[in-house]
Amino acid sequence: MKGVANNHIVVPRRSERRFYGHGIPGVDLEQLAGKLIVVEGADGSGRSTQIARLVEWLEGSGHATVQVGLKRSTLVSEELEQAQEGNILSRTTLSLFYATDFADQLENIILPALKAGFVVLADRYIYTLMARDMVRGMDETWLKNLYGLALEPDAVFYLNVPPEELVQRTFAKNAALDYWESGMDQGLSRDLFDSFMKYQTAMQKTFRRLQSSYGFTIVDGMRPADVINAELRKKISAVLAGK
Amino acid sequence: MPCGQKTVVFHQAGFSLPGLSMKTFAELSFPGRLIAVEGLDGSGKSTQIYLLKRWLELQELKVYFSEWNSSELVKSATSKGKKRELLTPTTFSLIHATDFADRYERHLVPLLRAGYIVLCDRYIFTAFARDVVRGCPPEWVRGIYNFAALPDLTFFFKSDLEVSLKRILDGRPQLKYFEAGMDLRLSADPYESFRIFQGRILEQYLAMSTEFNFLVVDANQLVEKQQAVVRELVTQRLDLASFHRAERLPAKSPAEPHRKAKEEEPVE
Repeated sequence: MKGVANNHIVVPRRSERRFYGHGIPGVDLEQLAGKLIVVEGADGSGRSTQIARLVEWLEGSGHATVQVGLKRSTLVSEELEQAQEGNILSRTTLSLFYATDFADQLENIILPALKAGFVVLADRYIYTLMARDMVRGMDETWLKNLYGLALEPDAVFYLNVPPEELVQRTFAKNAALDYWESGMDQGLSRDLFDSFMKYQTAMQKTFRRLQSSYGFTIVDGMRPADVINAELRKKISAVLAGK
Repeated sequence: MPCGQKTVVFHQAGFSLPGLSMKTFAELSFPGRLIAVEGLDGSGKSTQIYLLKRWLELQELKVYFSEWNSSELVKSATSKGKKRELLTPTTFSLIHATDFADRYERHLVPLLRAGYIVLCDRYIFTAFARDVVRGCPPEWVRGIYNFAALPDLTFFFKSDLEVSLKRILDGRPQLKYFEAGMDLRLSADPYESFRIFQGRILEQYLAMSTEFNFLVVDANQLVEKQQAVVRELVTQRLDLASFHRAERLPAKSPAEPHRKAKEEEPVE
């Protein structure tokens, strides 16, 4: 990898921290020395590629990293998987199940890692969860209260890729569209392709709406991976320097 | 409250206490009615709702009973969390809300639409009391449950703390970790912890009593006396005759005619 042979290690500057709402009881925000970086985007937007490269770069630069993502909690990830396979959960239940998964990781992985001074890379955060629910007609005020438990990240990057391109990338990899990523639970269309396009278009619209509340950085995901990564590194360097 | 002071409240402008705007199922024009019982562990509320259920069933009314924390879907996660002591106040609250939402959306609402009398052993007030005692912000907890309508009748079985403690501690000497509120580090002794925990929950219930129109039943009385009060109030407040099961063919035909019918079917 380029740009790794560097003996100078940047010591991250402290930044002001807050929860979006009521937060987690008993957490001392002053103690969270690490940085929380979120990469958002649809499946096929290049999230995992970018995160893998960022980890390499960060570790090469002397920063300890931890990765988190959706549906990875010890507490409910298996149950959530099972429930989703059966497609029997109604929307509030599914929403709360995901929130439980998120809260478990927030309290047991993200917050302790930040306390220990790690750079935490989150492969999606509350915004995907909120957008999915909003597309399904859930109340935005209700969701904002629910996810008021979340910590505000130091940076959020949304990899923006139009649905037409997402579909091409998905087929290049899998030759099949995912049921949930196509929003098939919503009966938008019986045709999987149509449903995917409609659902992903609605998701992008919702992300743009959330962007105005939560102010994340929209990154053009149509460019080559190297170019995108260079932009992310530059922005993360600024975050580490406390800018 | 350990939190709330240091945190910045974001996007909460114009956010009223959901309890004030919540409506009952009757107010929402559901044909069914929901009756909830609340009270401390050992207050005798489960016995009372069981007797109420039997009484309604014997009158051939459409009745459904639902218990707190009983959703099949969420059960394995909850029991894993409890066994391994993985739950924090936040995840404890969320996993119970998930359980409630599953029962609410899959059972309670459809049955209430179909004109059932739904009996709930504990409802959202249990979460309001317990989660707040565990340190969750009250507005956050109430906000999460504001998708649910209020019960049409809520019986609160008010027992002296010592009476309910004695009922639990006499019968079941082995207290479970979360049941005793051990996660709150109130005391290293589970019995002492349980006492303090239950005392705080009682305070929360009493504070909610007026706001949510609890029908307070003196739970220090004999079982029969309490049940008489409950039945009297249910008779007054509900038009029981309107919940009769419609006359229809019996679900299971007697063995004899059934076999005959089969014989008459054309053979392939």
